[in-house]
Formats: sequence, structure tokens, C-alpha cells
Amino acid sequence: MTSTGDRAADITFRGVGVSYPGGVRGLQDIDLRIPAGEMVAVVGLSGAGKSTLVRTINGLVPITEGEIVVGDRHLPASRGRELRELRSEIGMVFQSFNLARRARVIDNVLMGRLHTAPTWRTLLGAWSRDDVELAMQALERVGIVDKAYVKAGNLSGGQQQRVAIARTLAQQPKIVLADEPVASLDPPTSHTVMRDLERINAELGITVVINLHFLDLARRYGRRLIGLRGGRIVFDGTGEEADEQVFADIYGRSLTGEDVLEARAQL
Amino acid sequence: MRPVRPRTAWKGLLVLAVVAVITVWAGFGVQVDVGALIKNFSNAADKVVLLAQPDYGFFPETLSALAQTLQMAVIATAAGAAIGLPLSFLASRVTDPSRPLVAVVRSVLNVVRSVPDLLYAAILVTIVGTGALSGVIALVLFNVGIVVKLISEAIDAVDRGPLEAALATGATWVRADRAAVLPQILPVYASQTLYVLELNVRASTVIGLVGGGGLGILIDQVRTFYRYHQLSLIILEILVVVVLLEAASSWLRKRLVS
Repeated sequence: MTSTGDRAADITFRGVGVSYPGGVRGLQDIDLRIPAGEMVAVVGLSGAGKSTLVRTINGLVPITEGEIVVGDRHLPASRGRELRELRSEIGMVFQSFNLARRARVIDNVLMGRLHTAPTWRTLLGAWSRDDVELAMQALERVGIVDKAYVKAGNLSGGQQQRVAIARTLAQQPKIVLADEPVASLDPPTSHTVMRDLERINAELGITVVINLHFLDLARRYGRRLIGLRGGRIVFDGTGEEADEQVFADIYGRSLTGEDVLEARAQL
Repeated sequence: MRPVRPRTAWKGLLVLAVVAVITVWAGFGVQVDVGALIKNFSNAADKVVLLAQPDYGFFPETLSALAQTLQMAVIATAAGAAIGLPLSFLASRVTDPSRPLVAVVRSVLNVVRSVPDLLYAAILVTIVGTGALSGVIALVLFNVGIVVKLISEAIDAVDRGPLEAALATGATWVRADRAAVLPQILPVYASQTLYVLELNVRASTVIGLVGGGGLGILIDQVRTFYRYHQLSLIILEILVVVVLLEAASSWLRKRLVS
């Protein structure tokens, strides 16, 4: 995997807004700069716009106002090649893993090479030696290369999420977006997955933007926290600055056990 | 307060009356004559007795026609399934972002499917001539219609998560469909292809009646000369082949889909 220097890409939001058909506003007046190599946690209640925010960065949710600049690429991009090139530089991890469960682990990881391989290879599944090597290295990095030829659906939730992380690594991305990556996992597994994300940020210099529901996880792993409420940014600072009062602002109420992973684990 | 029991019985009676009227009307329309049925009963009984005594000596002469029927079914299944798979992706809203194209593919295939296989064979015999080729082409048309209908519906029902993930890597639709959707529908595809093979063995026997090749041509010949013992053997062969194939394919399909 390549080193950071030549691959850096800052993310800049300028006056970004998203309104859905029917007039529902997902995001409003977002001005934000995420320098390359940062690890950022986005927190907020469900419905606050966390998912929408990360999905605007790779164009899965089209923005309706303002612009987003990723490296030297601009959104809204026209659909087609320009958007695909932008997406190829951005990996994404989902809450429900989104693996092709009937396909083998290695085939899922090779999805990260779809953007660059020739079409005939992707259609026949006849991947080049180099692509397979990249996929294997990605699996090694998340520690489950021994499962390469197992059907993805036969793995545990935590293992599936690590396959999904390997899929993003196979893209050799500059940025990884994670949308509630541990919401379907138990606490110990959550920490394993969060540490994987922390490592790819620290070792590969990949910018990582994570949506998190649990505040203790956000504080522990996010060196920078962004609080969303009603589609607007209400907090942007370090984990230490985010005290009880700040969380009360983000959540519109004081904290309960529901908002903290470890508390839930003790129940 | 408890609600008053609604009086809806008259609705059921009305529906029943309408159905009865339509049925009686249809019966008069095609002149169902119960009297004639009873009068000709002995005639029918004679034929049944003849059919109950298959002429096993005729078996060697049916072999080539039986083989041709099976070959037609296999070739048509392979061609129909191969043509139907890519068309299924074009006919689903999940895998194809272009709505007009989906609408065009769907409506063309609705027309293709609404023509019965026997009619295809009858028309093709006048164009291509009698023989197995007409029968095979008729079966392929019939199969493409079925495959696209069943598989595009399976595609509509897949989990869209993997597709979203593949598109998020910067893949084109075609590549994302191949990597994220195809693995999900392969078992259903294999299972429906076996089902189509079953249908084809049955259909290819009948298609011969209009000149499409296979056992049907033989049926037509022996029937014309009232050789009921031989006809009986052919029917028995079809029965055995269809039952065996159905058993084999349902055994395989259970393993494929689970």
C-alpha cells in the first residue's frame, strides 16, 4: 500500500445543504474543513443528519446547495466518469456491512478493484495477479486473511465488518467513510473494528470520517468530534472539549446509559 | 361500546350469483352436451382399454424421437437461459438506472411471453420448415420470456446493500451488478433453469404435433393411423421422463437454494 504524501486529499464543505424531495431538509449551512489524515467522529441523534453528511462526501447523497471539494475534485460532480473517479478514492464502510454474502471473502474484497480492472476481467471474475495480491494484503491488514476463500455470509458480524474494511483498503483510498460501523456489533467486537479503523488512519495516513452513536467510542477514537443536531453543526472540537454540557447541546437532553457503549455492555 | 355486526352476507351471495351466471353462459357458449357424453361413453371406454395396453415392441422405433425431444429441450434451455440472464438485468429497476430502457425491455418481453409456445412453433414451421429447428426456436422464445420474468423479479428482491457498496467504490453499474447482484441470484437462476428444462421436455412433446420435431411428430403419425397401443407407449415414455426429470430437478433445486 502506498504512503500518504502523494495521496493526501482535504475535504472542504462550503455552504452545503441537502433537501430531500418533499422539502425535508437533511443538512443546512454546513461549512467544514477536514484536513487530510485526520480521524473525525461525527455524533448526533438518529435523524440529525450524520448519515447524510458522510454520504455527501462520495456523492451517494447528492447535495442541493453549496459545494464540496475533495482533493482537487468538486461535488456536485456530473454523474458518470467524474463521480466514479472521485468515489474510487473514497472507501466506505456501512452499518450492515453490505457484503455479497454468497460470494467468497476474497471476491468481496476485490470489489475494491472494480473501478480500475478491465471490464472483461470484472465480468468473468478473472482478476489479475496484482489485484488479488492487493486484496490479500488488505485482508492481512485486518487480520482475517485465513478466511479468504470462505463464503462471506458464514463469518461473524465483526469478521464481516473487517472484510468490508479490507474492501475499502483494496481501493487504496485517500479517505475512508464509516457510517455507524459498529452499531450492529457487540462491545468487544466494536473495539476491534474501531482499532482497525484507527490503525489504517495512523499507519496509512488515510483520512477517516466515522459516524458514531456512542459517545464514549467517539471520544476515545475521534481526535476531533463534530456534533450534528437538526442538520446543522452544533459542535466542532476535540474530545476533551466535549464535556457533558456539549453533549447535552448535541442531544438536546442530558446523557443516559443508552448513549454510552460500555454502560450498555454492563446491563 | 361494541360495534354493530356489519351485514355483509349479501355481498358474498352476489359474487356467487355472478360467478354462476358466467359459468352457465360459458357452458351454453361451447355447447356442453352432457347427453352426448353419456351416449358416447362406450366409445371412450374402448379407447381407454386400447391405451391401457402399450405396445412395448414399438419402443426401439421411438428411441430416436425421444432422444430428439430431450436434445431439443436441453439446447433450448441452454440458449434461453443464456439470452435471458443479461436481459433480466436490463428488465430490473434495481440493476439498471435507466427507467425508459427497463420499460422497453419489460414490455417487449411481456409480448414475447403472451404468445403460447405452440403458436410460435406453428408460425416457425411455416418460415423455417418442419423439423427440430423450428421446435427449438419456439422453445427458446418461450424460455426467454419465462427466464426474464422470474429472474428479473428475483433481482428486484435482492439486498441492495452490496450494490450500494460496489457503486461507492467507483464501479460502473455493469461491474457493480456483476460483483454485487449476480452472486445473490445465481442459486435462483440455476434453479429456474432446471425448472425451464422440465417445462421444455413437456412442451417439446406437444410442439412436434404442429411439425416442430421430436416425439410429437411420432404421436401425430401413430394417432393418424389409430395405432392406440403405440400411442399409449409414447404417452407412457413421456410420463416416465417427466416424472424422473421432475424428481431429479426438485432434488437438485432444494440443494441449490438452501
